[in-house]
Amino acid sequence: MSSTRLVFSSDGVRPLASLACGEGGTIVDVWRSDLHRRDRLLALGVTPGARVTMLQTFPGVVFLCDQTELAIERAVAEAILVRPEEGHR
Amino acid sequence: MSCHVGQERAAGRPSLLKLRSHPLRIALVGQPNVGKSVVFGRLTGRYVTVSNYPGTTVAVTKGRALIGAEVCEVIDTPGVNALEGTLSEDEQIARQVLAAGEADVVVQVADARNLRRALMLTSQIAAFGKPTVLVLNMIDEAWERGIAIDARELSATLAIPVIETVATEGRGLQELRDALPSAAVPCAPVSITSAERALWAHELTERVRRVSTISRAYVQEALARAMRRPLTGLPILAIVLYALYLFVGVFGAQTLVRLLEDGVFGRGINPAATWLCDRFIPIPFIRDFLVGQYGLITMGVTYAIAIVLPVVATFFLMFGFLEDSGYIPRLAIFCDRIFRVMGLNGKAVLPMVLGLGCDTMATMTTRILGTPKERLIAILLLALGIPCSAQLATILGILGGISFGALATLFGVVLGQMFLVGWLAARVLKGERSEFIMELPPIRWPRIGNLLTKTRLRIWWYLGEAVPLFLVGTVLLFGLDRVGALIWISRAGRPIVTGLLGLPPATAQILVMGFLRRDYGAAGLFQLAHTGQLTGVQAVVALTVMTLFVPCVANFLMMVRERGLKVGFALLAVITPVAIFTGAGLNYVLHALGVQF
Repeated sequence: MSSTRLVFSSDGVRPLASLACGEGGTIVDVWRSDLHRRDRLLALGVTPGARVTMLQTFPGVVFLCDQTELAIERAVAEAILVRPEEGHR
Repeated sequence: MSCHVGQERAAGRPSLLKLRSHPLRIALVGQPNVGKSVVFGRLTGRYVTVSNYPGTTVAVTKGRALIGAEVCEVIDTPGVNALEGTLSEDEQIARQVLAAGEADVVVQVADARNLRRALMLTSQIAAFGKPTVLVLNMIDEAWERGIAIDARELSATLAIPVIETVATEGRGLQELRDALPSAAVPCAPVSITSAERALWAHELTERVRRVSTISRAYVQEALARAMRRPLTGLPILAIVLYALYLFVGVFGAQTLVRLLEDGVFGRGINPAATWLCDRFIPIPFIRDFLVGQYGLITMGVTYAIAIVLPVVATFFLMFGFLEDSGYIPRLAIFCDRIFRVMGLNGKAVLPMVLGLGCDTMATMTTRILGTPKERLIAILLLALGIPCSAQLATILGILGGISFGALATLFGVVLGQMFLVGWLAARVLKGERSEFIMELPPIRWPRIGNLLTKTRLRIWWYLGEAVPLFLVGTVLLFGLDRVGALIWISRAGRPIVTGLLGLPPATAQILVMGFLRRDYGAAGLFQLAHTGQLTGVQAVVALTVMTLFVPCVANFLMMVRERGLKVGFALLAVITPVAIFTGAGLNYVLHALGVQF
């Protein structure tokens, strides 16, 4: 997790889990520590370059990735790195 | 990225005109929830067969379609998200259909809104070198959401026909039939890393797709939002459960069962069978075997067809509706945190809800769960805590008449026990829990034709797989009764029943029989309660023990089939003492507190 903060501080890249409801961004990467998880996410279209919008953070994380609505648990949302949109409400 | 498959493509085209020893085989491939089975239904019409793929439990549907003047075989493969990398059982089957040469032409069905994901799959399909047609289905929903796709440009880039369809209305299906002869191997990069593939799909999508910010699908989107948010989602859940209770618990379990059990079987089939046997079979043993107290016809067939079938059929219909409308995945969001305590994730909501209809079928559905540990825990909890519709009907029938407190006590104890056992199992059992990652399909009004086909196929499953188990259970019961073991078991159980549980001696046999045959136990208890032989406390204790027990012989046999004989008996060895000691504890506490229901 410490490396997350490092990236965060350097160029504005944050874990998806830190996005507020309604906030949008672009996926930069998915942590490679768990390849099985990465494969599952890739197959669902969670790939670098995809546009995401956070829809709901409780009881589970729900976000829109391109045109697909996905529900994931928080631990997974921590592993997806996004670059938030500038000047979003 | 350039295309290197020009020659293969040229070779792929004339193959359709060649003489073949078998009909042209068309495989439908696509992501889950893209309307693949609707396209399949439109192509093939009514004559469909469902069979398990050899050596597996995954169902593959086949049918015949008339394309031009040729009769073709159409194969509907299970929904897949990928054909490379870590694959689920379903995905391995789809891959095998493509790799084993079981298909001559591939029709990739895609959700037009999700072009990027569809293209990632297209490039994986291209690796098999089969002539392909890309179907952009649900194009109307894409338009409603402000998405426009340049199909001509896409077709030119991929060098394959790209057809826009609205399969539910049959739009574009003729174009698909016409396009099949010009199917070609997609011009897409094949041997590349998943990251490169994602980039290719992303760039191509950006080129051919325009997304405007205007969406006209207000109602569906508002409904989808309401279902997944706690404040609106929980009241919606309550309404759904109530509708489920009315349709399955009242209409199915009471109205239809009465009609079939008392009417068709009670007055028609059973008396007729008894009469025939009495007249034509001179050997009493065989007569008893067929139409006696534990007879194959009078008990086995009657139980399976008259009592369980109506409940299961109404439940499958309702369950199919919830499934096709896209509700169940949204329910999973609510359940994820609760299930995580028990070593499961939100996905387990599917077998758990199905268990309210029939625990035996739900036990089989646990295959969809990610890891062996999750499957084992789900099977344990289904057998322990989830009352099937027959059990629910008994509980409501007896305790509903006593008091609300009695009902609340029973459900409180059963749920508490489920949490406790699940929590312990999650810690004691070895293995991993899988992460909760779930796609939420758009909310739709289910298509009635599809719903009926799905329900019909499930009922066929029930008749083919579960009914034999009921018959085996009946034969077992007949054997036990013949050698006098039933009376012996009941007598041996009496000290526990009267001593520990504080129940009248007559309940001993009822509880033992309750395991073997749910409705027998239920009817026995019902009678005791109505003739005033059970106090309120005794009714609650007896029903709690019966709910916690393994629901029925069929469920037990399914546990053995799914997890093996050893695990089956181990589960039985866990569940039985838990049921008895919970009942004993409840009896003790209620008496100590002086509770009277």
